[in-house]
Amino acid sequence: MDKRMSIDEVIEQIPDGAKVAIGGSSISRKPMALIRALARSGKRDLTVIVDVGGPDVDLLLGTGKVKEVIYAFVGFEVLGLAPHFRRARQTQAVKFQEWTEYTVMAGLDATIKRVPFIPTHATLGTDVLTVNDAFKEIRDPFTEEPVVAVPALRPDVALIHVNYADIQGNGVILGDGHVDVLCAKAAKSTFMSCERILSSEELQRFGRDVQILRVYSKGVAEVPWGAHPTGCAPDYRTDLRHLQDYLKAAASPDEWHHYEKEFVDVTHGEYLENHGGAEELVSRLKV
Amino acid sequence: MPLAPELNVDEIIIAAMARQLKGEVLVSSVTAFGALAAHLAKRRYAPDLAVLSTPESGMDVTPMPTLTLGQFLTDVQQGIPLTMEDIFDAIFTDHFRIWINPSQIDQYGNTNITAIGDWHQPKVALVGSRGIPEDTSHLSETFYYILNHSPRAVVARVDFRSGAGNGESRRGLQHHGAPTVLVTDLGVFDFTGPDGTMAIRSLHPGVTVEEVQGRTGFPVHVPSGEIPSTDPPTPDDIRIIRDADPLEVRKLELMSGPMAAEKFVNIYERERQTLHATYPRIGKLGR
Repeated sequence: MDKRMSIDEVIEQIPDGAKVAIGGSSISRKPMALIRALARSGKRDLTVIVDVGGPDVDLLLGTGKVKEVIYAFVGFEVLGLAPHFRRARQTQAVKFQEWTEYTVMAGLDATIKRVPFIPTHATLGTDVLTVNDAFKEIRDPFTEEPVVAVPALRPDVALIHVNYADIQGNGVILGDGHVDVLCAKAAKSTFMSCERILSSEELQRFGRDVQILRVYSKGVAEVPWGAHPTGCAPDYRTDLRHLQDYLKAAASPDEWHHYEKEFVDVTHGEYLENHGGAEELVSRLKV
Repeated sequence: MPLAPELNVDEIIIAAMARQLKGEVLVSSVTAFGALAAHLAKRRYAPDLAVLSTPESGMDVTPMPTLTLGQFLTDVQQGIPLTMEDIFDAIFTDHFRIWINPSQIDQYGNTNITAIGDWHQPKVALVGSRGIPEDTSHLSETFYYILNHSPRAVVARVDFRSGAGNGESRRGLQHHGAPTVLVTDLGVFDFTGPDGTMAIRSLHPGVTVEEVQGRTGFPVHVPSGEIPSTDPPTPDDIRIIRDADPLEVRKLELMSGPMAAEKFVNIYERERQTLHATYPRIGKLGR
């Protein structure tokens, strides 16, 4: 089956109020072209599920798309804190639920395994257990010792970005895998963007790097530089200069409005042009 | 009295961190200090360490601290790829070590990277607990470092427990995950005081007990007898650290303001060429 879609066709598949799981990790391989399209769409009241979030979560918060965030971390790594996330947390404008890196994985895995929860010792002795109402401390039925029940996380949609895909929706991930495979398997519908579409014969040569299996994907969009400004190893590194401009813009409403006009409310082609075009990006970011 | 002037604070901290690592375990490289401590330990004291080049992958490469290139380092040196499942399985089976740089640590070794103030109405929302709850409920050794020992960072009680320390936080966890060591710019501390509270293990050359007490938010336990002086890095240690970090990414963690901004830009511009000069790209087999 040919599952190719445009970026906008992917976004049409996401209903208001959907629970959206996002792959990647902080400033690495985030599906940013899809996130920008979501940010400029009329969608609202989304629940974002993310293990390690960065500019993805921050942009959706900054453009008012989000009702709730389930997260283990949201930050810009070497560049510091995520500005809209920080503001939304401090003003309580949006609902937040703090999970942890493994418990987000376990929640997705519970959905994949079709079990209601997965037990763990993680979060015992921490305040995550105090503030996160979704977790329940229970007794191990065999030893009576305390364990934490991590409930299943059931995303409606997963958005991921990969290096290569074929038109049937198999995907190759060459750098760190993060939690993309769990997102893809747990969501009711998984959509991915990719740097390049290859023939299925070419794709199969990547062996175990073919991590996204087509039975889990509903659509694939060919979007070169689709992770920008986050990095996509081994193709290009994170654009820290752009992220610095983002942080500066997020500090004032006027500049943020200008940023949105230039880099969010535009097509992906225009977005690249506003960076001086793909050639300029190659010279700064290809490794 | 401040640190003896002939010593660089970054190098004495990294050397003290390196001496804590031993055995055949995965060591994650999240920060420049953590990566350099792992590298120095492997070269000098613990040759069996399996050092990662990113937070989650790239086993058995020589780490080079960079702003964005950890995954590319894996690629050019053909590091062994790992998955997030590999990482958490190694944490749960106690085959993993990590140096964590918390925003706050308290007298019981509870740590906070989530929020300053009440979690529900934070004064400053930080980043979220990430994987610290998993570390502090499973690892037999947990390591922390803080570069600027102050009453705001080393506090009587953390505002939020992202990581479980001793005392009441141990309920249900037995000893696993208990805090082991804190290294700061003043000395090396452990948790052998009354009820598992923080105690001075050694002071860096030139540092006094009074200075430690003055810069700590609670009275640190002072063991009886003479307090040892932290062994300074040897000339070999210093050479290994400087060779492994030609861009001096480690210095960034100690800087702020315009000086940090300038150094940051400089490192970002130079990191690609330094990567390829230090580790020429090896052709991938079968691709």
